[in-house]
Amino acid sequence: MPRISFNGIAKSYGDTQVIKTFSADVPDNEFLVLLGPSGCGKSTMLRMIAGLTDITEGQLEFDGAAVNGTGPNERDIAFVFQSYALYPHLSVRANIAFPLLMSRFKPYHHLPLVNALMRRRMLRDPEIDAQVRRVADMMELTDYLDRRPRTLSGGQRQRVAVGRALVREPSVYLLDEPLSNLDAMLRTQMRAEISALHQRVRKSFVYVTHDQVEAMTMGTRIIVLNEGVVQQYGTPKEIYDRPANTFVARFIGSPPMNLMDCELDGRSVRFPDGTVLELPEGGAAPDGPARGITLGVRAEKVSVEAADTAKAGALPARVVVSEYLGAETVVAFQLGTRMDESGTVGGRDLLHARIPGEVRLAAGDACAVRLDLTDASFFGSDGGGRLPVAAAKGVA
Amino acid sequence: MDIPAKAGTGVEAPKPRAHRGRRLAPYLFIAAAAVYLLLLTGAPLLDGVWLSFTDTQLLNPTGGVYTGTGNYSSLFSDSAFVHSLLITVIYSAATVIGALVVGTTAAVAINGAFRGRALARAILTFPWAVPTVAAALIFAWIYNKDSGVLNHALSGAGLGGRGWLVDPTWSLFAVTLASVWKVFPFVMLVVLAALQSVPDELYEAARVDGADALNRFRTVALPFLMPTLRVTALLMTIWSFRRFEVIWLLTQGGPVDSTNALVINVYREAFVNSDLGRSAAMGVVGLVLSTIVTVIFFYVDRGAARKEAL
Repeated sequence: MPRISFNGIAKSYGDTQVIKTFSADVPDNEFLVLLGPSGCGKSTMLRMIAGLTDITEGQLEFDGAAVNGTGPNERDIAFVFQSYALYPHLSVRANIAFPLLMSRFKPYHHLPLVNALMRRRMLRDPEIDAQVRRVADMMELTDYLDRRPRTLSGGQRQRVAVGRALVREPSVYLLDEPLSNLDAMLRTQMRAEISALHQRVRKSFVYVTHDQVEAMTMGTRIIVLNEGVVQQYGTPKEIYDRPANTFVARFIGSPPMNLMDCELDGRSVRFPDGTVLELPEGGAAPDGPARGITLGVRAEKVSVEAADTAKAGALPARVVVSEYLGAETVVAFQLGTRMDESGTVGGRDLLHARIPGEVRLAAGDACAVRLDLTDASFFGSDGGGRLPVAAAKGVA
Repeated sequence: MDIPAKAGTGVEAPKPRAHRGRRLAPYLFIAAAAVYLLLLTGAPLLDGVWLSFTDTQLLNPTGGVYTGTGNYSSLFSDSAFVHSLLITVIYSAATVIGALVVGTTAAVAINGAFRGRALARAILTFPWAVPTVAAALIFAWIYNKDSGVLNHALSGAGLGGRGWLVDPTWSLFAVTLASVWKVFPFVMLVVLAALQSVPDELYEAARVDGADALNRFRTVALPFLMPTLRVTALLMTIWSFRRFEVIWLLTQGGPVDSTNALVINVYREAFVNSDLGRSAAMGVVGLVLSTIVTVIFFYVDRGAARKEAL
């Protein structure tokens, strides 16, 4: 429900700044994904939103009101932990009902005996029971209400954790890598279920993951983080089509974006081996510096054909590996005609083409690579930041 | 199916003798410890039980004559002895509950991260490290009716002093308080260790769910602590049944038998009244009491473990 605003938020432990100052404004009811590799500070950021970790600098606002000083229970949030954090000694029913019990708790309930009695009575309360049953139905947990979390499978525990978040109907759902402990099949299924849940409850979600597929499929907004620095904030499409820098370009998309050193001379792209490609009509080009820049092309904008059928405008290359995936084939190749002497195939020099159907090329084959530069990205030499693009013009 | 043993393959049917050796080995390994225990614990115990059925006197330790259950029937018809059993139970229960509550509270208080935590832990562990005799003497000074610091403070606050160790109304309370002070660090250290096994995320989940500090302790920490607390309670109870120095040094069981716990009675019967047989009978009653407590604790523990396995 609330609009979440980050105003110059930063986090330090002592002298070490773990999250560099950043600002962003996330509208109501968005599914915001905090995406980044391990240790990039995404969980810390989520915990700051939850109020579990102090904010060192800046102001966090829900609907324009600062929440920096308020505790997690005052922010109207629910938090799903990576480890689920279910109370191991309580039944599934008591786990789900716990937030409801706490909201009705009176100070005198702390008295010995009264406490146990009141908890038991509140669990049987028709109103609480109805709410627990509604959530259990939604999460398909009705048959497990009297079991302990220990006796449930990973997927069921995960659903209990989500159920405990759902039952209080908070305005913000915070989820910390909730799918990372599930196997691949279940992960795909739960991904769809969480997306459906977001559609149904129409509340704000903030979701932490290191998995770019989760981010792209579930998120309506993504914040990409690396080493405590926000790299880019935007919709999945913006981030995929116009990555802010080479880090985002390589982190988002599988296979990652192809990055090639080049020089730009007007609308001609010159590669280190001397090949020159012309930017197509309507293709955007940066007006910035022309030397030592990096060209970025998505794998699906690359086509590969056998060397003997090649015509002008193709780059000579050699296939490193060809992976047939059924509907498509991903061909990894290296530019140049000679196989790398060292035999290494990893690293930045390895480029990818994503081609529908089957490709009759084997490792070691010479091939010709054609690039569609219509939506190509250009990154500067220092720091790899995206170069601003001039309005598309006709060929000079 | 028999696998024929072949020479040179290394797979040969074990010979009967080797088999027997392997079966006996564990018993041989524990034999030394078993003999040691039997000699140093079992023998005196049996001797004590035998003594309790005789009229042995301290001045003539070998001249006792078998008197059947005479010592026991005389004990249980003696209201002073029954009173001392009651004192023992009250003193033990109060000490155990006091030490568990104070120790657990102290453990929770010093579990978090704060400035000066190491110092706080050291100070709170101090009573456990002090020799019991020194601790008892310090408390004797604190409790002194005329010059003690406790009465001084109470008078200062306008509450008036009390004869802590000489007034039968207060003596058992004073002795219990000193005992709790002496033993709570043990509970604290054990609980502190158990608290390390509680995942931080559970506290955080409870915070998000709106639980206050007491509810977080109750819902998150306490279930993890229960097995530890049960064992600690058992140990503390048995130690309380046997605690001698603190009571003897503070009150010697007085005034008017108000702190006359079983062990004090045993000591006085043997070494003041010189009646070894009667003293041994009291000791056996204490042993039975400890055994009953142990059995109860094991049943409770097993029941709780079964409930947790659900």
